[in-house]
Amino acid sequence: MTELLKNPSAFEAALENAFTARSNANETAEAAFDRFAAQRLPNRRIEGWKWSDFNAALRASAPDGAGTAKAIAPSPFAALNPIEIQIVNGRINAPMDDQPKGLRFGVMEAMGTIPELEIHPIVSLNVAMTAKSFGLEVKEGVALDRPILIRHIDEGGGLSFGQTMLRIGVGAAATVIETYEGAGAALASHVCHMVVRDRGRFNRLVLSDTGAGAVNHAIVAAKLEAGSVYEQTSLSTGAKLSRHETLLHFWGEDGEARVDSAALLTGEAHADFTTHVLHKKPGCAVRQLHKGVAADRGRAVFQGKFEVERAAQKTDAQMTANALLLSDRAEANHKPELEIYADDVECAHGSTCGALDDAALFYLRQRGLSERQARALLIEAFAGEVVDGIEEEKLRAVFAARVAAWLEDQS
Amino acid sequence: MLAIDNLHVAVGGAEILKGLSLEVPAGEVHAVMGPNGSGKSTLSYAIAGRDDYEATTGEVTLGGESLLDLDPDERAALGLFLSFQHPMEIPGVQTMNFIRTAINAQRKARGEDEISAADFIREVREKGKLVGLDDAKLKRPFNVGFSGGEKKRMEMLQLAMFKPRFAIMDETDSGLDIDALKMVGEVVNSLRDETRGFLVITHYQRLLDYIKPDAVHVLAGGRIVKSGGPELAKTLEESGYEQFIEAA
Repeated sequence: MTELLKNPSAFEAALENAFTARSNANETAEAAFDRFAAQRLPNRRIEGWKWSDFNAALRASAPDGAGTAKAIAPSPFAALNPIEIQIVNGRINAPMDDQPKGLRFGVMEAMGTIPELEIHPIVSLNVAMTAKSFGLEVKEGVALDRPILIRHIDEGGGLSFGQTMLRIGVGAAATVIETYEGAGAALASHVCHMVVRDRGRFNRLVLSDTGAGAVNHAIVAAKLEAGSVYEQTSLSTGAKLSRHETLLHFWGEDGEARVDSAALLTGEAHADFTTHVLHKKPGCAVRQLHKGVAADRGRAVFQGKFEVERAAQKTDAQMTANALLLSDRAEANHKPELEIYADDVECAHGSTCGALDDAALFYLRQRGLSERQARALLIEAFAGEVVDGIEEEKLRAVFAARVAAWLEDQS
Repeated sequence: MLAIDNLHVAVGGAEILKGLSLEVPAGEVHAVMGPNGSGKSTLSYAIAGRDDYEATTGEVTLGGESLLDLDPDERAALGLFLSFQHPMEIPGVQTMNFIRTAINAQRKARGEDEISAADFIREVREKGKLVGLDDAKLKRPFNVGFSGGEKKRMEMLQLAMFKPRFAIMDETDSGLDIDALKMVGEVVNSLRDETRGFLVITHYQRLLDYIKPDAVHVLAGGRIVKSGGPELAKTLEESGYEQFIEAA
C-alpha cells in the first residue's frame, strides 16, 4: 500500500505507518483504512466536528511508541465487587476464570465493519487498526448481581485502539461501568457495538478522567429492541480533546432510554458529548439531561439529536442541556436538534447557559459560607442533578465523590 | 450594639442611602418603616455586605466591630443574620445539609466546635415544628416549590437555628397570614434577651402587634426622618408616609 493519504499531516502519516506495519491486516481492515483515507481526521469544517477538531488537536503531535503501562491502581469502583476487565493501551486483560453463570465473555476477532458507522472517520480508523475485540454476552433472563467494570487505561503517548461487543439477552439485565483513565494516549479510540434484546435492561456508567494532554474518542452504538431499557450516566473531566458519542437506535416498540452527562472542565480541558437517538418504532421514550461546567478556558460541547421516523408515532423525547460558565474565557457550545417525521409525538428540547447566580451566592454567604464554599455548593448542586439520576447508591457515591474532589481542586 | 453612622450607599452609581444614622442598643428591637423606594432593602443589603451595595461614606459597627470591610460570611460569623424579603430557591441543595453546613461554617469561624449530627437533627425538627415546616419539607431541595409563606417560614427556621446576636428582618411580614405572623412573633420573642438586637423593616404596623418594638424609625429619601416610640407606628398607619416623603 502506498500513498493512501494525500498530503497527510505528521500525525496522519504516523497513522498510515502504523497501519502499514500491522502484520495481521486483512481485507476488511484495508477497506476500513481506505474509508478513513477518504474521510481523514475530522476537522472543524465538517458540521458535526466544528467544535471538536481532531485534526487540529493532533496535527502538531506524533504518537510516541506503543505506550508503556504503569502499575495500575485499584479502581474507585472496586468496592462494588465488579468483574473487572482492563484494556490497557488497547490490550485486553480479562479474568477468564471469573465468569458467573449466565455471563460469557472473552477476547475475539475485531469487527470487520459496522455498517451504520461506515461514514464515521474515527470508527473507520478504529476498524482498520484494531486486531482484537472484547465480547460479552448476558444470557436470556439473567440479571447480573455484580457490575462489569471495563477500565480503558491509556499511558505513554502512543496509539490505542479498542473495541467491545456487548449483547444483553432477552429479559436480561446488566450494569457496565466504563472508566477512561491514565495520562492518555496520543490518540485513543474505543468503539462499543451492542444490542439490548427484547425487555433487556442495560445500565451504562462512564467516568472519563484522563490526563490533560490526552486525545480520546469513544463511541457506543446500541440497538434497542422492543421494551428494552437503556440508561446511561457519563461524567467527564475532559482532556486536550475528549469526545464521547452515543448512538441509540430504537428498533422495537416501547423502548426507554435515559442519557445523562456532566462535564467538569478546568484549565484547557475539552469535553464533547454527542448523541443521536433514532426512533424507528412507535412508543419509545427518551430523557436526556446534560450539565456542562467550565472554568478557566474549559470548553463543554453538547450535540444532541433526536430523529423520529415516520413510523415512530407516540414518541416521547425530552432533551435538556445546561451550561455553567465560571470564567470569562470558558466556553459552552450546544447544538440540540430535533428531526421529526411523525406527527403524533411529544418532543422538546431546552438549552441554557449562564454564570453562578449572584443572588444565590450572597444568600449562602450571608448564612456563613465562604465564597469558596458557596460556589462549590452551587456547582455541586448544578452537576449533582446528573449524579442524582444514578439509582444504585454505591455507584452514585463514587460519582459524587469525583465531583467533590474536582471541586476541592478548584481553589 | 448595631450602630450606623452617616451611611451613604450607592447602587449602580445612584445614591440610595444619603447619610443614614441609627443605633439599636443590645436588648432592643427597633422597627424601620418607610414607603416603597425609600431604601429599606438597600439598608439591609448594605449592612449584610451584598456586592454592588457600596458604602461610599459612613460606618456600620456591630458590638463595636466595624462591618463594612468584612465579607458577608465574616459578618455572619460575627452574629449578623438577614431574613430576606425574597428568599432564594436553590435547586439541588438539600435543606438540612445546607443549614448544618452554614451553622458549622459560622462555628468554625468563631473557633467553636461543630454541632453534632444528632443534636442538629433533634433541634432542626423541633424548630421546624415551631415554624410549621414538617420533615418532608426539610428534606426537599432548599425552598424549591415552596410558597411565599413557606419561604418566610424557612427564614424563621434559620433565625431560630442560628440564634444570631443581631437579626435584620426585611419585610418578613409580607405575604404572611395572621397565624404565620404570630409564629414570627414567637420565634423573635423567644430569642429576645439583653444580649441580642433586632431591626424589623416593614411597611405595616401589623407585625409590630406581635413584635413590640422599643423604637420606631421612619426611613424616607435615604435618611431616617423621624424616630419615636411604638406609638409612631400607629400614627403612620393612620396618616401614611406622605408628610415624611415631603420632609425628605
